[in-house]
Amino acid sequence: MRRHGKFPWFAYLVVILGGVAMVMPFLDMVMSSFKGAGEYGVIPYKLFPESFDLNNYREAFSQLELPRLFRNSVIVTVSVTVSVLITSALAGYALAKLRFRGRAVIFRFILATMMLPPFLLLIPTFLIMLNWPLAGGNDFLGRGGDGGLTTSLLALILPFTVSGFGIFLMRQFMISLPDEMLEAAKIDGANQWQIWRLIVLPQTKPVAITLGLITFIGTWNEYIWTLLISSSDPSLQTLPVGIQLLQSFLDPDRTMPIVMAGLVISTLPVLVVFLVFQKYYVRGVVLSGLK
Amino acid sequence: MTSAVGRVGTLAVPAQRVGKLQREGRAAYLFLAPALLFFCVFLILPFIFAIVLAFSDWGGFDLGTLKWAGTANFGDVLSFDGTFVKPILVNTLLFAFGSVFLATFGSVLVAYCIDRLAFQGFWRVLYFLPVVATVVAIGNVWKMMYQPAGLINGVLNKLGVNSIGFLSDASYALPSVTVVQAWASIGGAVLILTAGLKAIPEMYYEAAEVDGANSWHMFWSITLPLLRPALLFVLITQFIGGLQSFALIIVMTGDGGPVNATNVAAFEMYQRAFKYGAWGTASAMAMVLFVIILAITLLQLWVARRRGEETS
Repeated sequence: MRRHGKFPWFAYLVVILGGVAMVMPFLDMVMSSFKGAGEYGVIPYKLFPESFDLNNYREAFSQLELPRLFRNSVIVTVSVTVSVLITSALAGYALAKLRFRGRAVIFRFILATMMLPPFLLLIPTFLIMLNWPLAGGNDFLGRGGDGGLTTSLLALILPFTVSGFGIFLMRQFMISLPDEMLEAAKIDGANQWQIWRLIVLPQTKPVAITLGLITFIGTWNEYIWTLLISSSDPSLQTLPVGIQLLQSFLDPDRTMPIVMAGLVISTLPVLVVFLVFQKYYVRGVVLSGLK
Repeated sequence: MTSAVGRVGTLAVPAQRVGKLQREGRAAYLFLAPALLFFCVFLILPFIFAIVLAFSDWGGFDLGTLKWAGTANFGDVLSFDGTFVKPILVNTLLFAFGSVFLATFGSVLVAYCIDRLAFQGFWRVLYFLPVVATVVAIGNVWKMMYQPAGLINGVLNKLGVNSIGFLSDASYALPSVTVVQAWASIGGAVLILTAGLKAIPEMYYEAAEVDGANSWHMFWSITLPLLRPALLFVLITQFIGGLQSFALIIVMTGDGGPVNATNVAAFEMYQRAFKYGAWGTASAMAMVLFVIILAITLLQLWVARRRGEETS
């Protein structure tokens, strides 16, 4: 902490006012989730509900089919996170510690992948999913079927299984692991796979937590792609998409408190994970800022 | 870094050395295989496809019916009597510029202030909360707060001001969503700027204090200049993000309305493609936006490199 000047009353004022602006919407979300049928959308506005009624939460479970949305969210998020961790650790190790022809080119290519904006690939990736060979009734050329991969949860997982940022993060971390340790294992007769699995992987725990957390939160909150894929097959909806679509169908004044209850439930898991591991997340964001 | 070649070379005969390196090379490509395969299928292939589609006339379904259309799609998209250049592209730039300006101004102020307080970790987590929440939560809560019976109009009414149709009035809608985008991105910027602030040596401030400078002087002549690299990074990444983000706009306005008032380029591309099946036009829009973003990225690299030369 920098202690120049007197008591930083101005700094406190700014940070507290800003903090109120940050927290207020979340407070409004939680409070509205308790509001009864006649309480929401009434002028004059009241922040607090008359009673803390759990009815909206019961409604959210039945109307939203929360268990199904939750299941999809968990399957997709866990699969993507595990896959990103493994593929990043594999590729990061090769780029950090192995010598081979083309290493510089591949590393530069990985950096370039991070510059390609995701929206550009939205249309072609969707069409690739639609015409995926031997899926959803397609023949081996990807023709003739009924939706290809877009009818499967795999459509929400496959396009996110590898992350250029993840590879970069792992490579930067592994490059600082001492070469002597790997040499010693080589002299003891370990092959590259054993070195990776038994020596390198256990050391990557801190960066793996950072990457895992960033991937977990990003995937849990992913919206556009899931909205697109599940538009023809609602059984693929995850929490954000399911909750959003509930409110567009019905009368907003009646459903908004239920939507808020759903949002509270869907935000809690990420919030808990974030608060538990926040120092790792913070470090990851800072690392990504120093590339 | 001592190279494996050098180390092995002093001991082993050349034939063995080559064998060892070849084995390491094979292992390396096995380690890289999942990633490279993925990038072929989900990056290179769609990228080529995106370019082809932008120059084609295609009704969907069978790739055999794909017809070369030259630059016709770009002509349609960029024609001035269409809606893409004005208002949509203009909205995109206003949305990105506006949110980056607000978020940067806010985050510099907040990061600088937090750096002088107790419980810094707590404050940073507080400002970071919106980054953790889903865009569906952020969009809906703000939509609710913007309603005539919502929190913000409630406060305005208490102050004796008439209610404002933040999302229903075409002249307020774009600024309203821009503010939410800025609100949601302050936390990330604060984290990066804090790292930049921590890297400024304490002795600069001490020396300035001896010379009798006040906090305001210190901020302008020490903090801001030394924060420039971190600030530049925040500006550029958020600007690039702002140019392509439309999830918030879908959630808050549904269709980019009222009457295109909040429609942005990436959203228009999304709607043209998936609502109307105009794959060629949509892909041309994507290309136009991509070229804009690419130009800004290259500008960033150029500026960073030039500054590097200046300092060295």
